[in-house]
Amino acid sequence: MIEAVNLTKVYHIPDKDPGVRGAVKALFRPRHTSKTAVKDVSFAIEPGEIVGYIGVNGAGKSTTIKMLTGILVPTGGQVRVLGRDPHRERVANARDIGVVFGQRSQLWWDLALRESLTMVGRIYEVDDARFQRLISEFSETLELKELLPIPIRNMSLGQKMRAELAATLIHEPRIVYLDEPTIGLDLLVKERIRAFIKRINQEKGTTVVLTTHDLGDIEELCRRVLIIDNGVLIYDGSLETIKQRFGKYREITFETAADLNGLDVPTGADVLEKGGRTLSLRFDRTQTSASRVSASIMSQIEVIDLSLKEPDLSMVVKQIYQGGLKETA
Amino acid sequence: MALLNYPSLYWLFLKNRIKILMEYRMNFLIGATSTIMIQGAGLLTVWVIMSQIPDLNGWTLPQVLLIYGLITLSKSINHMFADNLWTLGRDYVRTGAFDRFMVRPVDPLFHLLADRFCHDGIGNFLVGGVLVAIAAARLGIVWTPGVIVYFAVMVLSGGVIFIALNLMTCVSAFWIMDSVPVTRVVFEMHEFAKYPLSIYPRAIGLLLTWAIPFGFASYFPATRLMGLETPLWQAYGAPLVAAVLLAVALAVWRFGLRHYGSTGT
Amino acid sequence: MISTLKRDLRAYGAIVATVPKMFMAYSIWVWMSWFVQIIAVVILVAFWRAVFSNTATVGGLDLDTTINYLLLGMIFRAGQNTDVLYEIGEMMRDGRIGITLLRPLDMQATYYVINLANMGLNTLLSIPIALFAWLAYGLSLPNDPLVWLAFLVALLLGNAVMFCFDWIIGCVGFYSTEIWGLSVLRYGFGLFFSGALIPLDMMPDWLRTIASVLPFSQALYLPVSILAGINPVSAMPRIWLIQLGYLVVFLVASRLVFGRALRVVTVQGG
Repeated sequence: MIEAVNLTKVYHIPDKDPGVRGAVKALFRPRHTSKTAVKDVSFAIEPGEIVGYIGVNGAGKSTTIKMLTGILVPTGGQVRVLGRDPHRERVANARDIGVVFGQRSQLWWDLALRESLTMVGRIYEVDDARFQRLISEFSETLELKELLPIPIRNMSLGQKMRAELAATLIHEPRIVYLDEPTIGLDLLVKERIRAFIKRINQEKGTTVVLTTHDLGDIEELCRRVLIIDNGVLIYDGSLETIKQRFGKYREITFETAADLNGLDVPTGADVLEKGGRTLSLRFDRTQTSASRVSASIMSQIEVIDLSLKEPDLSMVVKQIYQGGLKETA
Repeated sequence: MALLNYPSLYWLFLKNRIKILMEYRMNFLIGATSTIMIQGAGLLTVWVIMSQIPDLNGWTLPQVLLIYGLITLSKSINHMFADNLWTLGRDYVRTGAFDRFMVRPVDPLFHLLADRFCHDGIGNFLVGGVLVAIAAARLGIVWTPGVIVYFAVMVLSGGVIFIALNLMTCVSAFWIMDSVPVTRVVFEMHEFAKYPLSIYPRAIGLLLTWAIPFGFASYFPATRLMGLETPLWQAYGAPLVAAVLLAVALAVWRFGLRHYGSTGT
Repeated sequence: MISTLKRDLRAYGAIVATVPKMFMAYSIWVWMSWFVQIIAVVILVAFWRAVFSNTATVGGLDLDTTINYLLLGMIFRAGQNTDVLYEIGEMMRDGRIGITLLRPLDMQATYYVINLANMGLNTLLSIPIALFAWLAYGLSLPNDPLVWLAFLVALLLGNAVMFCFDWIIGCVGFYSTEIWGLSVLRYGFGLFFSGALIPLDMMPDWLRTIASVLPFSQALYLPVSILAGINPVSAMPRIWLIQLGYLVVFLVASRLVFGRALRVVTVQGG
C-alpha cells in the first residue's frame, strides 16, 4: 500500500548574512549548507494497518509525511503509494488520501461547517448521494449534527478536530495521514477521536499513518511503531517488542535534603536526570533491585522522598531518543 | 479534476465568499469605498488641474479620463479575481496552508485564486466604468456592437496582463516568502499607464510597450477608441500580448511549484 | 524631578531605538519603496511638464516652483502620514492595549515619541529620492537657515496636529470593526487635502477652503510651501499661530476621546 525504499531528503539551505549586503552577496555567490532531513528510510505499510510514526521535532517526521503525500520530491530513493509516485501523479494520489495537518485547519474560518464540508466534497467530486450518506454517518460517529450550522471560528479545539476529521474523510480516502490529531485536546475528547479512528479503520479498512507526541494515541491505536531520529529510522516493529525490551528497566527518583555533589552511582543503574536536589536513575531489574539502589543512595545523602516508576511508553521513547535502543539492541 | 467542473467549483467558492462578506457588511462597504477614495484623490487632481489649462500637452480631459478609466478597469479585474497572488507568501507558503492545496485533487493555482474573491476591487471597477462612460460620452464614442466587443476584449486582455505580471512575480514567494515587494515593483509600473504615454521620455514608452506592457491595457486601445491614428499592432495587440505573457507566467509558476516540491519551505 | 525626567527619557529612548531595527528587518521593503517612489517622481515630473506645456502659470505658480514644491512634499511627507491610527486601532481591538497601559509611561506621549522617530527615519529614508530628484530634475533647496528653521517648526507643529488627529480616528476605529478600511479612507483624504498632489494655491476657492480647514495641510502644505518659496518667511508667525490653535483643539479632543474609549475597553475587558 505504502512503500518507501531508501527514502532520502536533503535540503539545501542558503547561507545568508543578515541585511541588504548579505542578500546581495547571496545573489552573486550563493553558498549552501546541505542538511539531510531523512536518510535511507525504508518501510512498507500494508492495507488496513494503523502505524504510529514517532520522533522528536525535527527528526524528519513531517518531511517523510510530505514525501508520502506528494508535497515534496525525495532527493533519493523511492516512494510508491497505491502503486503510484505520489508527486508525479499528485492529483490521482490526492483522491485516495486524506491528510490532517495538526493545528492547521483545512476548513473556512467564517463558514458554517455544513458549507465548508460541501466545498471540500465538491473539491473531491463526491456525488450528492454519497455526500449525504457520509454526513449522516459522521453525524452519529463524530456527533457532528449540532456542529453543522456553526462557523469554524466559533468552535472549541475538540469540535474543530471533529470537523477536521469529517472534512478529511468526506471522500472516503483509502489512506489517512494524521499529524498530531489529539494535540491540545482534553482526555475525554481524545478518547472520542481515538475511538473514531479505530472505527473507520475497522469498518472501512482505512490505512492510518499517525504521527503524534501523545503516547496514549500510540498505545491505544497502533500495533506497529516506526521511530525516526535524526532522519534515520531507528525502529520498525511491534509496540509489544519495545515494551518487552525495555520492560526490565525501572526509573527511580530521589529528592534529597542537600545539594547533590560527587555522588557514587550504584552499579547496575545509570543517571537519567540530575537536578539541584533531585536525581533520577534507571536501573536494570535483572541486575539490581530498587532496595539496593536506594540503600546505596541513602547511605550517601539524606533522602526526603523517593518514587518508583513502571516503564510506560513515554519513558521507553525517551530512552530511545537518548540512544538507549542502540545500546541495548 | 476534470476541466469541465472548474467553473462550477469556482462559482461555489464565490458564492460562499460573498456569504462571508455579507456577514461583515460594514467591512465590505468600507473596503469597496476606500479604493474609490484613493482613486478619487488622483482623479480630483487631474480634474482640478485640467480645468485650468487648455490641454495636457495636446490631450483633453475626456481623453485622459478614458486612458485612466481603461487602466482602472483592467486593474480591477486583477484586484477582484487575483488579489490572492499578493498574499501567496505571507498567508499560504509561510503558514504552510499551501501544503493543503498540494494534497487536494485540484490545480493549486486555481485553488489559490478561487480561495478569495477580493471585494475591494469592486470599487475600482465602478470608478473605471464611470470614467469610461463619462469620457466616451464627452468624446462622442458610439457604443456599436463592434465597439463594445473591442472594448470588452481590451479590458479583459488588460486584466490578464495585470494577472500574468503578478503571477510571474508572486512566484518569488517560493524562494523568499515575502513576495510582496517584488510584485509591487512591477505592479507599480501601471501608474505610468494612467496617463498618455506620449508625455513621458521615450524610454518609458518603450518599457511599457515591450517589457512591462501596461501600454496595451490603456493607452493603445484608448487612442484607437478616440479615433486617433493607431498602428494596427498597437490597436489590436493586447490579446496576443496578454496570451504570451500568461503563457510565460504559467511556465514561471510551474517552475516555482517544482522548486516548492524540492524544498518545501 | 530631574531624575524622573532622565529616567523617562531613557525609557522613551529605548522605545525609539526599536524603530530602525524594525526597518532593517524589512530591508527588501525599503528597496521596494525607493523604487516605487522613484516611479512616482518620474510620473510627477512628466505629468506637470505636460500640464505646463501650453501655459506659463497655473494658480500663480510656474513649472519650476510647482515641481519643486511637489518633490519636497514627497520627501517630507512623513510628517503627514503617522502610523498611529492603524497601530492604536488594532491595539484597542485585540486588547494589546491593556499591556501597553501597564508600562509606567504616558501612552500617548510614548506613541508621540515613536511617531517622531518614525518621521525622522522616514525622512532619512527619502534621501535617495531627494538625490534622484536633484540629479535628474535639479531639485533646489533654500540656503537661508532661517527658512529651514521656519520650516522645521511648522513641520513639527503640523505633525503634532496630525498625530492627535490620527489618535482620535484610531480611537473611533475601536467602535468599528474595520481599522484597515478606515485608515485607507484617512490616507485617501490626506493624499489630496494635504496638498501632496497639488499645491493648495491651484485649487478652486471652495476646495481650497476645505483643504485649509481640514487638518491635513498642517503637516504638508504649510511647512513645505515655505521651503519651496511659495510662502515667505514673514508669513510664518501667522501660520505658527494657526497651527498652535489646531494643536490645542486636537490635543484636548484626543485626550477626551482616548479616555472615553479606554473606559469602554476596560469595561468590556478588551
